[in-house]
Amino acid sequence: MNGDDAAALIRTGGRTTCAARFVLTPDRWLDMAHALSRTTMPLLGLWADGVQVHALFMDGEASLIASVAVTDGRYQALSPMRAGAAAHERIIHDLWGIAAMGSHDDVPWLDQGRWPVTWPLRDRPPPASAAPDGEEFTDDIALQQAGGVVLGYGPADGGFDSPFHLRLGTPGERITQVTTRMGYAHRGLCARMRGLAPAQAAQLAARIDATATMAHQLAFFRALAAVTGTAMDGISAAGVVLGEVERIATHLDCLMQAAERVGDVRFASLAGELLEYVRETCRAQYGRRLLLDRLLPGRAVPPYDLSPAEEMIRALQTGRAELRRLFRRPRGLAMQGRDLGILSADHARRWGIMGCVGQASGIEYEPRPSLPGYRTHRVGDVGEGMGDVTARLAIRLHEIGLGVQRLSAAHETVMPASIPSFSDGTGEGIGHAEGPSGPVWHWVRLEGGRIAAWWCGDPSLARIQALPDILRGATYDDVGLIVTSLGLSAAGADL
Amino acid sequence: MAYLHLFGPDGVAVPRLVTLDIFHMETGGCTGCAMELRSLSRALVAARAAIRFVPTPRQAALLLVTGSLTVSMAPVVEQAWQAMPGPRSLAAVGDCAVDGGLFPPNYAVLGGVARHAHTSLLLPGCPPSPAEILRALVDWHTSGEQAGTV
Repeated sequence: MNGDDAAALIRTGGRTTCAARFVLTPDRWLDMAHALSRTTMPLLGLWADGVQVHALFMDGEASLIASVAVTDGRYQALSPMRAGAAAHERIIHDLWGIAAMGSHDDVPWLDQGRWPVTWPLRDRPPPASAAPDGEEFTDDIALQQAGGVVLGYGPADGGFDSPFHLRLGTPGERITQVTTRMGYAHRGLCARMRGLAPAQAAQLAARIDATATMAHQLAFFRALAAVTGTAMDGISAAGVVLGEVERIATHLDCLMQAAERVGDVRFASLAGELLEYVRETCRAQYGRRLLLDRLLPGRAVPPYDLSPAEEMIRALQTGRAELRRLFRRPRGLAMQGRDLGILSADHARRWGIMGCVGQASGIEYEPRPSLPGYRTHRVGDVGEGMGDVTARLAIRLHEIGLGVQRLSAAHETVMPASIPSFSDGTGEGIGHAEGPSGPVWHWVRLEGGRIAAWWCGDPSLARIQALPDILRGATYDDVGLIVTSLGLSAAGADL
Repeated sequence: MAYLHLFGPDGVAVPRLVTLDIFHMETGGCTGCAMELRSLSRALVAARAAIRFVPTPRQAALLLVTGSLTVSMAPVVEQAWQAMPGPRSLAAVGDCAVDGGLFPPNYAVLGGVARHAHTSLLLPGCPPSPAEILRALVDWHTSGEQAGTV
């Protein structure tokens, strides 16, 4: 059996209302798991609906979902073959109490022991035991022998990022041990989505992560459209234009934060001015600075022109050229980020990291060129491929240029007057959009026009899992810059 | 020309502020309000204003919370509050922090922090713009100064 057999094996499963999803027997699921060890087919997500566990793969340019029934509260783990599945398996256990057989790590990921119930997504969740007085961590032997200092990062540092905690073992100058603690930003979105009408659910999807709100809105909308087979060419084109504006704003924000962290005032000032200009233009032209609630199902408004303002295009073209010059100047941001926080291509593949961070690590091929809104460029285009902070920031700077090119060609794009409401849809669908930090996925099951089950895949989860590999060997002073360059969002990862 | 800014549009002299140090906490939202606060913070630093965001609660007089309060962040907020010295105040910015917004209480969320503690400053919005936040902070701070409570 070769690698392609994993996809072929999935397609032998039972068909469902979702064209990309196939139901496997537990034995076939096990065969698939073994076949995965002989293929590079990336795993993009893993989730449960209480009855089945679903795994999302990318087979060439097509998404492919394998499902297996949960038997006696268990299913066969995929994390031995796909390391990136580990956090998903722990989340499934936290939310449903469904165990992954063969998983190497069963420590809770979201549940810090403070929820009033255990396994909250079950129909009748059992009450939880008393909350712990303090947190317990286990340090590895190397750190214990070194007797070093343990430093914390987050969840509250006075900054403006969503909360998560890093426990950093620092026996000497360099970090040797990294433990992540998540769940601070968990809002129970899966539970909230159940029973909502699509218009209400879209408001929640828009607020998963404000740095990628258009990407989430578009992916959610595409999932709904897939359920009902609705044509959405005009809406998709509008979403791509707004998504491009959002990508530029988020990249500028990331670059500005990185410059502030290294004290590059000139770069930070210019990036900040451009960012504010883009946000104010969004407010004037699209009605919201952060583009929330632009794609609400059932919304009927007069069609409005989305063509970006010429002044903004010119300002971004001029500003980006100056940012590039400042980025490359002696003692500039490029020089200060070199060799920091290196994510090798092997580690990026191991954790399933895509988007600009994966490309900065030298992953030149991602099998999604046919999807709308996708951009393809090789790492060589920007002269970097080391996977360090400089490479990641250079990719973002490069993508700003691509975005401006795309916006300047987006004439006569109009937001349609009415958006389908999906008020009587029944079935399943999956949708995707390319967010500023990587691909965003939404899977939805509708029953009588109401959300029966929902899942969202955000690129931040894979990056957070990779943090131990990225931060090991760094100094504590560089942690903030490295984390900023990754564009992490705990809000997107925790849901 | 800076003296021109000593008067408001109505001709009334703008009072000189005592420095207001703010410790911000994002407690479980979409971070939209936090992003607008970052824009405000940058503008305040550039203007060398008397309002500033500080990296530790031990320097702060105002604890500014954005986002709906998650169960896991509640003890963190409590620790930050206890670490603040002397007279201290609590501000809730954004719909989520005011009343939970789109994230009302469930197993993981307690709702808006304003529903659980006395707040001195409430500013709804999803999210409020940096200008709205600044106006609310200045109004609250100047009224507090005049009342002698800050």
